[in-house]
Amino acid sequence: MAAVTEQSRFGQVIWPVIAWIVALIFFFPIFWMVFTSFKTDADAVKPEHLFFFTPTLENYTNMTENYDYWRFAINSVITSTFATAFSLFVGVPAAYAMSFTPSRHTKDILLWMLSTKMLPAAAVLYPMTFLTKNFLNIYDTHFLVILVLCLVNLPIVIWMLFTYFKEIPKEIIEAGKMDGVSTWGEIKDILIPLAWGGVASTALLCFIFCWNEAYWTVRLTTTDAATLSKLIEGNRAPEGLFFGRLSAVSTAAVGPIVVLGWFCQKQLVQGLTFGAVK
Amino acid sequence: MSKRTLPRLLQTPAVILLLIWMLVPLSMTLYFSFIRYVLNNLRRPEWTTPSFSNWRGFGNYEYVLYKAKDFWFAVNNSLFIVCSIIILTVILGLAIAMLVNRTFPGRGIVRVLLISPFFVMPAVNAVLWINMILDPVLGLNGIAVVGINELIAGLRDFPVLGAFFSLWPELTPISFRATQTSAYAVIIMVTWQWTPFAVLIFMTSLQSEDEQQKEAAILDGAGAWSQFRNLTLPHLARPISIVVMIQAILHLSLYAEIEIVSRGNGNKNLPYLIGEFTTNNIGAASAAGIFAVILANIVAIFLLRMVGKSLMD
Repeated sequence: MAAVTEQSRFGQVIWPVIAWIVALIFFFPIFWMVFTSFKTDADAVKPEHLFFFTPTLENYTNMTENYDYWRFAINSVITSTFATAFSLFVGVPAAYAMSFTPSRHTKDILLWMLSTKMLPAAAVLYPMTFLTKNFLNIYDTHFLVILVLCLVNLPIVIWMLFTYFKEIPKEIIEAGKMDGVSTWGEIKDILIPLAWGGVASTALLCFIFCWNEAYWTVRLTTTDAATLSKLIEGNRAPEGLFFGRLSAVSTAAVGPIVVLGWFCQKQLVQGLTFGAVK
Repeated sequence: MSKRTLPRLLQTPAVILLLIWMLVPLSMTLYFSFIRYVLNNLRRPEWTTPSFSNWRGFGNYEYVLYKAKDFWFAVNNSLFIVCSIIILTVILGLAIAMLVNRTFPGRGIVRVLLISPFFVMPAVNAVLWINMILDPVLGLNGIAVVGINELIAGLRDFPVLGAFFSLWPELTPISFRATQTSAYAVIIMVTWQWTPFAVLIFMTSLQSEDEQQKEAAILDGAGAWSQFRNLTLPHLARPISIVVMIQAILHLSLYAEIEIVSRGNGNKNLPYLIGEFTTNNIGAASAAGIFAVILANIVAIFLLRMVGKSLMD
């Protein structure tokens, strides 16, 4: 027994230290990006200024003229917000119906919805370009980006809402029905207040996925509806001359989302594994 | 209105939207894959508009399989990248999840630091890694190698020990711009981004592990390794397979990272090859697209079956 306690006392010190080191290694690239964003472009590529330099905010103050950052950022905010809102608008009633009045087919419908998420986007790249450019004439519009982001995330939204709604006792909803509350009233006054946490974290996660989406937002836009993914992707070859300003714009692009992400770690598991891991 | 029509009505918009989203583009791809369809062809202008009169049967599939020299390379490279990422993320994820699954000072901060890479947008991830970290001259990769070389050069001046260090060769930084090495760069950056995902899922699952069983095992004198092998690993079997399948599906359609890192150096995966075909040969792009769908479906069927089972619980 003595050996066991001895070992665990040693373990009590060493394992947390290793955990901290691993965590710092994983965080290092993000730290490095933020750190470099305070260097001038000239300092950023000089080894002698690797750690010691005069910090400057010029990369942030010049972001608008260097990259037209705000135009892309506003597009990202608009498209992600509306796509999230629209997904919830379509997803909440669907998940409500599926969890409180399930039919024989509910399970199949849910699984089929997930399967749409598993289609490789590249396979339908040309038809999507063709349809939106030549046929519907909505290529490079906010409307298109919002619609596509919504469709891409709708399965996850419905699935997450479904797992949250399932936890709510049916009797509460039934009681509402007895009192003659309309369906819309049930959703608005009973369901959403009860499942508020679930709805909020679904929205948050959907927003993050929309923000980070990098296939359709890049392929289906040119300028008008281009998001931050497109901005960064367009500056993929700075040839080392602009590490400082590139770091600043990257930090501005991912910063808010990383912080938001910290708040929905738990929901992430549910959202990404479709409730298969609890 | 009967009791059953309303619920159906409520889920109709979602079903119809997803049905259109799935069926319309995919059936167009299927149609294009059976006709001759190119965007530019001066000698055969009739091929530039899609029409049934340009029917080619399985010609595009044959072209993609046997004549397009990059197809098998792209498939192999896709599989190589996906398998490497999966193996690395699962092993690292298991190790880190075990490491963090205990109480220690600052555990909350460690969790936050660990999960952060997952929320970085793919474009930023790729640009950050390939330029600022892996670049052989200006990135940390190059700077570190120069530093090590200088250190060794300095050590060579010492008596006795210097003789030992003068045997060491001058190190050259690895360039991640070549075809094969840029695949490694993609593997590194995606592993960095997705290990947190594996950690998070394994950690969630570890918290539901049966503690009593573990204590009993300790009393029976089971060592740490045998506890891990006989109790923890079976408990994690399901989360591991979920992590493997989800990543397989997502990384088979990896695009942004490949595009940013490769820059036309020949490193490509299946989606990238489809993108290349799309610049002119739509027929071939569509046939390759159908192959990509088949490849993804092989994994998706297993994943859906497993998710479906957990739905019953």
